Amino acid sequence: MILRTLIFLGLFFGNILNASSYPENNDPIKVTIQDWTGQHFSTHVAAGLLKEMGYNVEIVVSDAITQHPAIASGNINLSTEVWTNNVGDLYDGLVDKGDIVVVGELGLSPKEGWIYPPYMEERCPGLPDYKALYECAQAFGSAETFPKGRLITYPASWGTRSRDMVASIEMPFEPIPGGSEGAMVAELKSALAAEEPVIMMFWQPHWIFAAYDFNWVEWNPTDGKCIEESQKKDTACGFEQAKVQKVVSKGFADKWPAAYKMFNAMKLTNADENAAILEVDEKGRKVEEVAAEWIANNKNVWKNWMN
Amino acid sequence: MKNSIFEKNTLTWIGIIFITLILLIFQDKWVWASKYPKDLIVPFSDWINFSMEKFIEQFGWFFLSISWLLSWPIIGAQWLLHSLPWIVVIFLVCFIAYLSSGVRLALFTLSATFYMVLIGYWEESMNTLALVIISVPMAIFIGFGLGVWGFFSKRAEKVIMPILDIFQTVPTFAYLLPILLLFGFGTVVGLIASILYSFPPMVRNTILGLNRVPDHIIESAIMSGANSKQLFWQAMLPSCKKQILLGINQSTMAALSMVIIAAIIGGTADIGWEVLYYIRKAEVGQSLVVGLVIALMAIIIDRITSGFALNSDKAVKGSQYLRNIRLNYLAFAILVSILLFITASFFQVLADWPYNLSIWVSSHINDFFETFVKTFKTEIKLVKKYTLFFIMLPTKIGFQQAVSPFTWGFKLEMFHKIFYFMSFILVAFWFLKNKKNGIFIFLLLLMIFLYFGLTNMPWLSLLLIYSFFALRVGGYKLALGTFLGLGFIVIVGMWPEAMISIYLCGIAVVFCFIVGTSLGIWAAHNSVVSAIVRPINDTLQTIPLFVILIPFVMLFKIGDFTGLLAIIIYAIVPSIRYAENGIRNLPSEVIDASKMMGSTKMQLLFLVKIPLALPVIMLGLNQTIMYGIAMLVIAALIGTNGLEQIVFIGLTDGNMGKGFIAGISMAILAMIVDRITKTVSKKRSEALGLSIK
Repeated sequence: MILRTLIFLGLFFGNILNASSYPENNDPIKVTIQDWTGQHFSTHVAAGLLKEMGYNVEIVVSDAITQHPAIASGNINLSTEVWTNNVGDLYDGLVDKGDIVVVGELGLSPKEGWIYPPYMEERCPGLPDYKALYECAQAFGSAETFPKGRLITYPASWGTRSRDMVASIEMPFEPIPGGSEGAMVAELKSALAAEEPVIMMFWQPHWIFAAYDFNWVEWNPTDGKCIEESQKKDTACGFEQAKVQKVVSKGFADKWPAAYKMFNAMKLTNADENAAILEVDEKGRKVEEVAAEWIANNKNVWKNWMN
Repeated sequence: MKNSIFEKNTLTWIGIIFITLILLIFQDKWVWASKYPKDLIVPFSDWINFSMEKFIEQFGWFFLSISWLLSWPIIGAQWLLHSLPWIVVIFLVCFIAYLSSGVRLALFTLSATFYMVLIGYWEESMNTLALVIISVPMAIFIGFGLGVWGFFSKRAEKVIMPILDIFQTVPTFAYLLPILLLFGFGTVVGLIASILYSFPPMVRNTILGLNRVPDHIIESAIMSGANSKQLFWQAMLPSCKKQILLGINQSTMAALSMVIIAAIIGGTADIGWEVLYYIRKAEVGQSLVVGLVIALMAIIIDRITSGFALNSDKAVKGSQYLRNIRLNYLAFAILVSILLFITASFFQVLADWPYNLSIWVSSHINDFFETFVKTFKTEIKLVKKYTLFFIMLPTKIGFQQAVSPFTWGFKLEMFHKIFYFMSFILVAFWFLKNKKNGIFIFLLLLMIFLYFGLTNMPWLSLLLIYSFFALRVGGYKLALGTFLGLGFIVIVGMWPEAMISIYLCGIAVVFCFIVGTSLGIWAAHNSVVSAIVRPINDTLQTIPLFVILIPFVMLFKIGDFTGLLAIIIYAIVPSIRYAENGIRNLPSEVIDASKMMGSTKMQLLFLVKIPLALPVIMLGLNQTIMYGIAMLVIAALIGTNGLEQIVFIGLTDGNMGKGFIAGISMAILAMIVDRITKTVSKKRSEALGLSIK
């Protein structure tokens, strides 16, 4: 109720005082920051640009899933990266109801699939082709999965896509849920340190590709869409690729029209994010600084977003 | 007739074993008895989700306005702590530490707080502190109020106590989402979660303290003409001050541990958030460095509050002299703070520690772990392999499936099976002949259980076994509770996951109990061991649980085994502590008497000390189980598959009902085990004529 009143007042005064130019009002736009560096970068770019336009911006930390009820209730106004493969039922429901407004895609082209360290190609000749995995599952084996290979999948809470696929293409691998991102990264790091076998469902952009070398398992090429559920052993096409959406809270476009227009036009690429991720995670710089640098160097790019 | 095979209870047990065998033999035919049918699962979680939605539509505004009100004190505390230069805050905290326990604690506090500055996490530390400062007084206020109410009204106590149990046993993850849905988003969620988690110890200690007020104090107060108000505030309360301060201390620790867990849903850029950030990146070093801040904060707050609790006896006398000193202290503190504040405005470094002066030690820790993994690669693998093949797999899926040429080096042939069953039965009957009916039954059950494995046991027979066991231990009430509780888990369709949880937790608890109790007994006899074990225990209990996980994954990889180790490392602490306390605090007359009767050291230990300390040791077992269940939830983060994972999925998927049902199921398991172990402990101590507190 309070929020509604505020929005109303904001609209009212915003329209009277200043019909055409921005900022329409001084209420802070609450921008959410989550827990991976790429998202930190895109958030700070968006926040930096909004500040450039004269808006009040407040940065709020949240979790990839718990942000959704928060956006729906207006406690968060803007999120730069919602990965559609990892949202749960909650998100779809809230988008359908209109409580979360999707503003389009950020422009990242994410990649998901199975990765392995390069030294595994000696132990399993024929990689990166997925068919090689049928022959050398034991090269990826471990005590608890013998005689099958051991495949680390996404944590159980992110769905069971790899498990379903292993079953439908009859691959001799035992899917082990990864538990959490931290556990998965720890597993990768320790496997690399001891040059041990590892194969894991993973996603990009991710900072780990800036720090270590990994190869992707390759599938049969498809023209356009890959339907995950119905693939067969000989014609497996791998994984449907996710989208990265920009979202705002309900009523955002009415309250901050110019901000909405800018955010709608905003695009970032894998190259932008990977470069930033490298600066932050490898060189230990602050993400705010890297984002500010990007803003300073790409004036001609974002000037267009604001018109 | 007693203690023969025809004795009533033994016969019932044999009946149950018989039913179990029948169910196992016909498990392909009667699938419903081994695996609860999917169609009969009661969709509680859908109902919960639905009614929650309706509830929020109707009453959401009410909770949102509470949340709006509660956000102000936090904003205020954050503003205050951030606008004061760090040097002023450190001075004030050290000063309080000095008042509480003297110079040594003040020095420790000084170095610990300066550590927070030095590693560059002052801002985040202050956000966490702000949350604790606001949530603890509220929790204490609520807890004290409920405690007093529960003391004066038995009816209220009957309602309050089960609610406390629920708040303390339902995994915290399970109620984060409902709080989030009700109260909106932000720091307030963390605040409410930590209040809910931290008020129960306060209630318990308040009731306990008031109950223990000696009669003569009440009588003399009444005789000197005190009215009921005076009786309460001036006679009863001062005499249970110590217990109440203990409650404050425990509430504070609970709040602090909850603040970290609440970080998982975000909302505040506090220390918990930073720890999680590094854990997600598997930065062992940095997550330990930051996690240590929380441990240090917990230790400081613990020592300060317990220092005040210990000194409360002196303070009770409250003479004019003491009051004068206090005023002087206050004046001194304000004066120095102002001076430091002014100094800090001249020297920026005293207010904001520069980023580039922060110290980074994390890379050394990371390097250490990587080298360790590389060097001990084979040994690590071996340990893991043997535990897995010979302990974990048999428990989970039974010898029937676990024994194979790859794991044990041979195939399970008919003669192996005959040998296995015959030897068990022979030993069992030998015990029966010696009138040890309990062991007889235990061995028969163990035989079936190890052969088929926990996850293959029919739910119906496990329900019977557990309920009848509860009946034997604690009577009809406990048995009924056990039956209904486990029955609930069955009909909501969580039984298979519950068995996985029990399997992991069970192995961990058995290990913790054996090793921990032995360590504790050793520590009770050897002060060097005791001095080594104590700080390790302290650290294990105060460092955020998440931090422990990542190093273990680095060493042992994702999976059940790592989950098991993580549970063990956390749950072993109470076993050690209680065993040591139990042995150390035995009445010395008994020990001296047995010594005089000429018993050897071994006799003294096994025939006198351990039996006498058993009730306390059993309480340690109880706590070990509770800690194991608490850690189990965290172990979901490294890919275990039991109830804990469902709780976690419920949270991350936004499916409140599912997470909540799984959480309740865990709470049910915890409460059943709690009641059973407590009853056993109580019976033992009554039989020995001891009283334990």
